[in-house]
Amino acid sequence: MSGSAVSGRVMPEGGVPGEAVAGKPAISVRNLDFYYGELKALRGISMEFPTRKVTGMIGPSGCGKSTLLRVLNRMYDLYPGQRATGEVIFDGRNIIAPGMDVNRLRARVGMVFQKPTPFPMSIYDNIAFGVKLHETPSRSEMEGRVEDVLRRVALWNEVKDRLKASATALSGGQQQRLCIARTIATRPEVVLLDEPTSALDPVSTARIEELLDELKKEFTIAIVTHNMQQAARCADQVAFFYLGELVEMDSTDRIFTAPRETRTQDYITGRFG
Amino acid sequence: MSAERDVSGVTGRSDGWKPHGALAMRRRFMDRLATGLSLAATCVALLALCSILLTLLVRGLSGLSLVTFIHSTASPGMNGGLANAIAGSVIQTAVAILIGAPLGMLCGIYLSDYGRGWMASTTRFVSDMLLSAPSILIGLFIYQLIVVPTGHFSGFAGAVALAILALPIVVRTTEDMLGLVPTALREAGIGLGASKWRVIVFICLRAARTGVLTGILLAVARVAGETAPLLFTSLGNMDWSVSLAQPMASLPVTIYQYAGSAYDDWVQLAWTGALLVTLGVLAINILVRVGFGRKGA
Repeated sequence: MSGSAVSGRVMPEGGVPGEAVAGKPAISVRNLDFYYGELKALRGISMEFPTRKVTGMIGPSGCGKSTLLRVLNRMYDLYPGQRATGEVIFDGRNIIAPGMDVNRLRARVGMVFQKPTPFPMSIYDNIAFGVKLHETPSRSEMEGRVEDVLRRVALWNEVKDRLKASATALSGGQQQRLCIARTIATRPEVVLLDEPTSALDPVSTARIEELLDELKKEFTIAIVTHNMQQAARCADQVAFFYLGELVEMDSTDRIFTAPRETRTQDYITGRFG
Repeated sequence: MSAERDVSGVTGRSDGWKPHGALAMRRRFMDRLATGLSLAATCVALLALCSILLTLLVRGLSGLSLVTFIHSTASPGMNGGLANAIAGSVIQTAVAILIGAPLGMLCGIYLSDYGRGWMASTTRFVSDMLLSAPSILIGLFIYQLIVVPTGHFSGFAGAVALAILALPIVVRTTEDMLGLVPTALREAGIGLGASKWRVIVFICLRAARTGVLTGILLAVARVAGETAPLLFTSLGNMDWSVSLAQPMASLPVTIYQYAGSAYDDWVQLAWTGALLVTLGVLAINILVRVGFGRKGA
């Protein structure tokens, strides 16, 4: 175990009723540093993402929480000059080491973005696109898969009659649910959500939050959010980042009721950030 | 005429709010002057355009008949048409686009998504230079490159010259249109585990397809009216010929050859040919605007 994070007790006991946040980690981050060129954006991050739990990541803008999320599926690879050092262990391998099959990794660690990003194709094809990258299902299998994921994101009844219609014609909330459906259609183990509701209205936001409760039965979830209430409602454990460091991570209850760090206290009570 | 009425209509309107003092007077005067001058300039340009189109219509239509499309060019007095020139223009333009559009799209993709450093900036610079290069130079270039080694003029050489003209237009629009595709969309594709080329081909190009198609159609419109690059390459052909290996007629070259001739029926054919080229190019431009205009791009 690498419980020696700067100030974060990685595996608290108790907190959330039941099994709390303990359990086999899906992803373990150890001494992770991240650089945007010369700028060091993450400093010595060590934390774990427990399997089938929701880990909320909070902190003021520019604190590194989204950066960390983009390390977990190697999205930073797209940009030369960005690099990470340290270890991110997923399924027994250090995924930031060279030689990793990043396309396969991204199928296993899916990502949902801040703004809905439907592809310029039909609703059906939006889901089929990701599946076809990694599998070659028959037509009927594919249809079954599309229906299944659309049902799970509670979109099926709204779109079942127009699966061949353009996905860009859906409302923002529907688009975001489609994006989640598209992500889970590749059967990932981990789902990363980068402020998934910040572009949505309150009703759509509530539906996505309900959805997270369902999804965590099956997936390990990491969600970046600027919304304290959202973190409190959805997360099993919450990590607070500040200036590229992990200040504190604990069960959601403790973070919001009895944080150990004054910086955490100040942030969640709205004194800065 | 109507221009003056327009000017007074725009500038003479009372808005209920009137500045006063010498400064305000001067500003109002400058405002009216600028408005008047720009309206006048617009009218001059429009007048020229309308005059050209009207003359073309009147002169061209009088010679337009079924014979124009059925008969090839012939000796004076032999009731010739433009069939060979029309076919030649269509074939050479089509081949040019078949060569130029895929190359241009690939190059645009390179510049937008792969190219970095001196290689990309040089490519972009050369492509922009090509965009404004005199077309007759392109013709001479292909003359040296294809006509001289093969020993004869050919429709293929003409098509290649036109392809080079089409290339930078497609490069530019492809790069620009791909640049408008949001980063989030690319990352969403990458995030599903798609490789970069897959994201570009199936997501980015699809998102940018109206813009890229517009660029290709504009390239068609541009090369379909070109004369200079064909003079040294496909040369022209009095007879019906659709072989790319042979000299090939085209509307612009036929216009060039017949417009200054001493025979009335040849001059008439030149007018009719000019009308056909103009209508064709106009149709493509209107198609682009009406077909894709609504979606932005």
